[in-house]
Amino acid sequence: MAQVIVNGIVSAALIAPPAVAFSMLFGILRFPNFAIGGYITVGVFAAYAMNVPLALPFWVAALGATLAGAVIVWISDQIIFRPMRTSAPVTLLVVSIALTFVLEHSVRLIFGPDVKGFNLPLERPITLGQIHITRSQIHLIGTALFIIVFTHLLLTRTRTGRAMRAMADNPELAEVRGIRSTLIRVVATLYCGALLGLSGVSAGFDLAIEPLLGWSLTIPIIAAAILGGIGSVYGAMLGAVLVGLAEEFSTLILPSSYKIAVGFGIIAMLLLLRPQGLLGQPEIKK
Amino acid sequence: MSNAILRAEGVYSGYGRGDIISDVNISVDRASITTIIGPNGAGKSTFIKTVAGVVRRRAGRILIDGYDVSGMSPSDVSRHAVAYVPQERNIFRSLTVMENLEMGAWIEPRKFDSRVARVLDLFPALNALKVVRAGNLSGGQRQMVAFGMALMVEPKLLLLDEPSAGLSPVMVEQMFAVIQQVRESGIAIMMVEQNAIQALRVSDVGAVMSAGRVAMIGSASELLGDREVAELYLGTRT
Repeated sequence: MAQVIVNGIVSAALIAPPAVAFSMLFGILRFPNFAIGGYITVGVFAAYAMNVPLALPFWVAALGATLAGAVIVWISDQIIFRPMRTSAPVTLLVVSIALTFVLEHSVRLIFGPDVKGFNLPLERPITLGQIHITRSQIHLIGTALFIIVFTHLLLTRTRTGRAMRAMADNPELAEVRGIRSTLIRVVATLYCGALLGLSGVSAGFDLAIEPLLGWSLTIPIIAAAILGGIGSVYGAMLGAVLVGLAEEFSTLILPSSYKIAVGFGIIAMLLLLRPQGLLGQPEIKK
Repeated sequence: MSNAILRAEGVYSGYGRGDIISDVNISVDRASITTIIGPNGAGKSTFIKTVAGVVRRRAGRILIDGYDVSGMSPSDVSRHAVAYVPQERNIFRSLTVMENLEMGAWIEPRKFDSRVARVLDLFPALNALKVVRAGNLSGGQRQMVAFGMALMVEPKLLLLDEPSAGLSPVMVEQMFAVIQQVRESGIAIMMVEQNAIQALRVSDVGAVMSAGRVAMIGSASELLGDREVAELYLGTRT
């Protein structure tokens, strides 16, 4: 049981940062950007390219992946989504799915379909009683905690962060109060892109590095965001913990290959019972 | 220097293909209150939104303190000391009261503390609610936050869309008292109100809009005393 909880926390640490990024992007850009999987893939392969072929230290590769994530999300927003800002959210959603395929297949074209790994020393798991955990997984949890605390401080202790929350809450009023939406969008896309790039590095720690890595994480990430209340950053954090634990507990009664079905199940149940999620606010319409 | 803070000259605007307001001409003097009344669908809110830049002007000119702000975005209009308070969705629900006030001062963050003190002076009830999420407040408290946010930039012109909507009679009285206090501090106010009699009683100028045009404009006391206006728009007979 304790091992299942630890595995659940590791899964949550993997899902939480991209779920936060997904929710923030939704709040600011007002559509569900399913290209998160593609952005994560770009992040992990940017880190791989710097760490293995270029033989750079791992921390440099992680920093490079963070920058690559920020740049790819910002560029895709400027070139693809910004000109379509007035389109219906469902149109943008379909375009974002297409973008995921473009990014993942571009990565496959450059790096090939084979499974890859970072150039890190082999390690034995640390054993505490009946619990086994690797140093990589501890790093992964540490990174997720750092991201969550940093994001919380950004959103609550900085003026720009508070403006990002204001814009996500009520974009028309934010504009009326003089907050320049273009500037906030740029800051938000760069920050979320950095989170997704770094999430790619974390995913590469725990999972096999291959072009579909990002896509395989997309459903749990979106399930976490919907569970917490799409658009709510704190909800995404809570949702990630619950989805991570639910996925791991499901392995007690189901084969582990069914874990992804848990994500789908959570989305379906939430949409029926509490569409606004656990911490989301119901939309009020006149 | 002209005494007019707002001059709207031959303004047309609307949504979709048709015009909602046509050839609207209104001038608002400094430190005065102008109330626009009229039936539903007359274009009152559309006009006030057009001045705020929320609805795009199609023709005509809008001058704020002599500067042509026609066609500017709401963000740019706000930089000309115009503060608009929408009727609905006029607060940031997930932010605390203090954070809302901070967003109100976004374009002018200096003197934040003194301005907060002034807003709390006008709305003492907000003192105990500074760290409460605005979405958890009552309707009247939300209206105070919305009004307070607009005052955080020391505007020259305050645009209020139905400031008394949804408030209890006691709160309505308080709201109009605050509006008068704000005017006395030198800020011009243009408001749209369904609560026409009370609004005109505190106003200097009244305008009647009908079918997207200004049907009548004059001193508020003239409008209050006008038999036709009383029968058609104030719900009273003289």
